[in-house]
Amino acid sequence: MSSQRLPLLALLAAAIALPLVFRGEYFMHLMIMVLFYTVLASSLNIVTGYIGQLSLGHAAFFGIGCYAAAMLTLDAGWSVWTAMIIAGLAAAVAGFVIGYITLRLDGHYFVLITLAFAEVLRLVVINWEEVTRGPLGFPNIPRPSIVLGGEVMVDFSSKTHFYYVALVLVVITLWAKHRFVYSAMGRASVAIRENPRLAQSVGIDPFYYSMVAFVLGAFFAGLSGWFYAHYISYVGPDVYGFGFMVTMLIMIAVGGRGTIVGPVIGAAIITIVVEELRFAREIRLSLFGLLLMLSILFFPRGLVSVPDLLRRRGWWPGAGKTGTA
Amino acid sequence: MLDVALQFLVNGLVTGSFYALMALGLAMIFGLMEVVNFAHGEFFVMGGVVAYAFCNVLGVDFYLTIVIVVALMFAFGAATDYLLIRPLRGQHLLSTALVTIGLSIFLINTMLLTFGTSPQGLDAPFSRKPIIIGEIVITEGRLFAIVVGAVAIVATHILIQKTRLGRAMRATFQQKEAAALVGVNVERVYTLTFALGTAMAAIAGVLLGAVFVIHPSTAELATLKAFVVVILGGMTNLPGAVAGGLLLGVVESLWGGFVSTGYMDVIGFALVIFILLFRPYGLFAPRPGR
Repeated sequence: MSSQRLPLLALLAAAIALPLVFRGEYFMHLMIMVLFYTVLASSLNIVTGYIGQLSLGHAAFFGIGCYAAAMLTLDAGWSVWTAMIIAGLAAAVAGFVIGYITLRLDGHYFVLITLAFAEVLRLVVINWEEVTRGPLGFPNIPRPSIVLGGEVMVDFSSKTHFYYVALVLVVITLWAKHRFVYSAMGRASVAIRENPRLAQSVGIDPFYYSMVAFVLGAFFAGLSGWFYAHYISYVGPDVYGFGFMVTMLIMIAVGGRGTIVGPVIGAAIITIVVEELRFAREIRLSLFGLLLMLSILFFPRGLVSVPDLLRRRGWWPGAGKTGTA
Repeated sequence: MLDVALQFLVNGLVTGSFYALMALGLAMIFGLMEVVNFAHGEFFVMGGVVAYAFCNVLGVDFYLTIVIVVALMFAFGAATDYLLIRPLRGQHLLSTALVTIGLSIFLINTMLLTFGTSPQGLDAPFSRKPIIIGEIVITEGRLFAIVVGAVAIVATHILIQKTRLGRAMRATFQQKEAAALVGVNVERVYTLTFALGTAMAAIAGVLLGAVFVIHPSTAELATLKAFVVVILGGMTNLPGAVAGGLLLGVVESLWGGFVSTGYMDVIGFALVIFILLFRPYGLFAPRPGR
């Protein structure tokens, strides 16, 4: 575990100092998106990386977080910070309900039933216009602000403010994930991923541990939805769509699923690659698809496995120990 | 009322035969080979786009075009399996799922670039004059689609039940190791199955182009619908996939005609949830013994 902790702490120090050095608006926006996707991809990784279930319904929890934030602040007039808690909890409750129904199935059946749940939710959001405003969505979602003693301390007019909120979310997410992974619960989850029947034979109840991971993942997906809604200031039915789902899957696969650092690397690389490919104009997405295929074929365990691969050939210092949590 | 219902029924059967073909292909790739193939809708659209290139651009005869498309897409499917799926066989579900997602992103955007974003129909040699049977109206093209769909489905059935290759396929998907032990080239069976599934989706694409239009942006919904139908039919149950396709087409058409079009697409997904929870072996198979 220490092999993952040290680089993470160094990364955190660099992340805190970053806005002091670089101040460009566009650069800040990119970094905020990297942090946002880190939270989102990490939340999926708790489910897919640790209990090994490919959930295609994860975008639904993100969407519930987005809509909870938008509806509570715009329609009900709640404060942005209360909405944060409720957005996370609403997603967690949905995670409990959907998980309770779907986690009885496994493998291919689980993939499809989670996908079906997300699609049903998306179609309901599009069609139930009285409540969700249908395809129009919610524009002008308010920015958060920090008020102390009747005075506005931080008004979130600068991207730097959002950057630090996102950073705090990342730290909370990774810390919670770390606690989960290195607890008895996390080890039980990995046992379930590697061999559910064997795990069951030593008294691990796959359903119970899968539920814990699923609800935890849903909660953080909801939090990331809250952040997205207030940062972008608009949400529409597309937040339930396949686009976000695919993006986070790609991030954990390219970075390395079942590791804590993996989704961080994946979020950074994919966000930046998609931006940098802008020069390629129309063929951008075709290139992206090609890169994705190559990366899965050549690094099936993700980019976190690259040092291990190099070490085995003696191109990287250190003993040839392979180990991902 | 009744004649309107009959008309919806016939319309539903036309859509249903597209669903059936797509689902039959996906039942092989997803049900038998256990590859979560997100590029299935792209294979379907690609059939239409390749047909457009031959039929409309190069001016090849429409019927010959169908043969060419089937042959090309069969080869394309075989190549896809050989290059992308085979290296990942035996790995986590996520790896193959992501490779097919990468493939689908690549294919759909490449097709949007070459084919364009506006929908196009094929130059099919059918008259637009409606055929009226009693109270029901149908066109030559639609009738042709149903017939070709039926022929393709029956041919697949014969291939699997009556030929040597079909026997090798059945053996492989029942017990891979035992099949390999008695001399079946398991890898070759996998590749041919994937190719066959791809060709099935492509035929559906050509027929759709002849009856309605070819439109790359339909690929994603087509993939989802195909998964829905495979679940309705019961995963590895090929006749079930066909029946499920026809059923979904008819139910959607009746629901869209009599109830509402807004929630039409919800039916399929709601059915999936219901079936996976209460009848995971599909709608048509008897409850398996315990």
